[in-house]
Amino acid sequence: MTQSLRALLIASTAAAGMAFAGAASAETMKIGITQNNVGVDSYQTTYEKAFIEAADANADVETVVLDAGGDVARQIAQMEDLIQQEVDAIIIWPTNGEAVIPAVRKAHNAGIPVIVTNSNIAEQGFDFVKSFSGPDNITQGKRSAEIMCDKFKEMGIENEAQVVHITGQPGYTTAIERAKGFDDRLPEVCPNVTQIDKQPGDWNREKSQKVMEAFLVKYDDIDGVYAGDDNMGVGALNAAKAAGRDGIIFVGATNFAVGYEAMERGEYWGSIYQSPVDDAKAALKTAVAVLNGEEVPFLNYFDTPKITQDNMAEFDKPVF
Amino acid sequence: MEPGTLSTFLKRGAIWGFIVLQLVFFSVAGKYLSLSDTAFMDLDNMLLLLKQSAPIGIIAVGMTVIMINGNIDLSVGAIFALAAVVMLDSMTWPVFAGLGDWVIPVGWGLALLTGVVLGAINGLIVWKTGVDAFIVTLGAMLGYRGLVFMYNGEQPTSHLNWTLVDFAEAQFLGLPTAAWFLLGTVAAVWFIMNRTVHGRNAYAIGDNREAAVNAGIRVGPHFLINFMLIGFLAALSAVVFYSESGSVNPNDGQLYELWAITAVVLGGTKLTGGSGSIISTLGGVIAIQLLRKGLGHIGADTETVNLVIGLILIAVLFLDRQLNLKGKQELRV
Repeated sequence: MTQSLRALLIASTAAAGMAFAGAASAETMKIGITQNNVGVDSYQTTYEKAFIEAADANADVETVVLDAGGDVARQIAQMEDLIQQEVDAIIIWPTNGEAVIPAVRKAHNAGIPVIVTNSNIAEQGFDFVKSFSGPDNITQGKRSAEIMCDKFKEMGIENEAQVVHITGQPGYTTAIERAKGFDDRLPEVCPNVTQIDKQPGDWNREKSQKVMEAFLVKYDDIDGVYAGDDNMGVGALNAAKAAGRDGIIFVGATNFAVGYEAMERGEYWGSIYQSPVDDAKAALKTAVAVLNGEEVPFLNYFDTPKITQDNMAEFDKPVF
Repeated sequence: MEPGTLSTFLKRGAIWGFIVLQLVFFSVAGKYLSLSDTAFMDLDNMLLLLKQSAPIGIIAVGMTVIMINGNIDLSVGAIFALAAVVMLDSMTWPVFAGLGDWVIPVGWGLALLTGVVLGAINGLIVWKTGVDAFIVTLGAMLGYRGLVFMYNGEQPTSHLNWTLVDFAEAQFLGLPTAAWFLLGTVAAVWFIMNRTVHGRNAYAIGDNREAAVNAGIRVGPHFLINFMLIGFLAALSAVVFYSESGSVNPNDGQLYELWAITAVVLGGTKLTGGSGSIISTLGGVIAIQLLRKGLGHIGADTETVNLVIGLILIAVLFLDRQLNLKGKQELRV
């Protein structure tokens, strides 16, 4: 009697213990995110929406979604709060790639893995970061070069074409990387195409339009324009239209709605499609992978495909 | 009870009552809504709160003085940014290359000097031209911000020095460095305002400028001193904050003037001057930071913070008006 009772007790305790262990392993992952500035542009707004949707769709994930409102002090406070709340992982969209490094180090020292999303932090902080999830801007520049070269070949001018290049804000990593990708790749695919000039357009449509106006005065023969993003590309397009210069091939990056529309009208040739939805999903996926103990590459890029007038039907019009 | 004692008590106490209310609400709501297992009223969390209140808090203390004096300073956000740029950039100047880590106090000194000089410019213009401080500092806000952009274009100014970061992250008697600076500032300015002639004159000038002039108080120099004080404090806030983060965006500190003014008004300082309390301003700052922190804790949308603070601000002003009305009636009786 006592023997069997004891056995029963042991068995039930063991069962309870196993059930407890089972519950513990199925415990949800708490992931906190602090974003740069939701609402300042529709890329970031769409990103947040997509992130929340993706998190809701995953039953194992609970999220704390915060927005720094572009304020570094608030972002650092949010990092501290997330550390204090003992979340399992933190995703950060840095308001300033350097100012957040000490806060990232704090999370790292507290044993919380940090995933940087969209724009990377400065190199001094790499030691404290598990992974960067975002677009590969060098590849984007390279792909833009390929789009342009392919079009020249189609037109049969790949041996004589002349290209001008409008870059983003000097000093910005995104601008530098895209320009580098384009500059490196163009001579590889189209060795006889010459890049005759390169000027910054500062991510600004009006500035870019002025730069292009100057180019049009200076050079009688311009066959292609590469701009660091569609916003500047459309500015350049407007300058060409105003000057009555037809037949110039415009290629940009980060397909904006204005670029997409210009492509629909047949005035703008191509761009790189960068979706905030993919950006958000990639960040969450990276965080989940890190928490599951999977090997994640330090630079975990999501794909940003080429978009041209030929294949644009496959893509939704960008919301920004 | 003397007439007005109750209303003064209510006005002074309202902000602390509001803080207690928030603490209770977020503790209870946090139990159900928060993902975190740690309680909201955790000691570490409260110490963190004090630290996070420092950037706006130090400025708000200065703003209280300015507003008691009957003025306003809209340029503090820009001074904050410019002082930060000077501090971080000066540490990389070749002139100081031989100093090693001794460059840190030099950078701090230059930043604080920048704040005092910019504040003095504001104060001198207000004093000598008699133009309203609102307009003068509105111009200064734009002008100083322009200087920030001229300094380094749209790019961040950065200098990451781990010695500096370690100092800023250090804790003394359990309190983080930034919290010490905040409490020290509150104590020092409280002393100035309550125990010195300058402080009492500042109240008198804000209450009734003509009467103050008639009583032989020289209004201008007091303005100048107070603008230098707030310039110094805006720079001090930058020194404390950027020692820990090491990089300043050219638009950092934007809207800080409004958050500081909000904190001051929440603390019961009158917009028209003559009345206000440094300690209550600290309450106002804590209330704002608590709201940001608490709403994040229970997983509410961060945007709701602004809405809630806006509503509370209006409620505070309404309460203030009602209490003042009652006070006046009692006096008449």
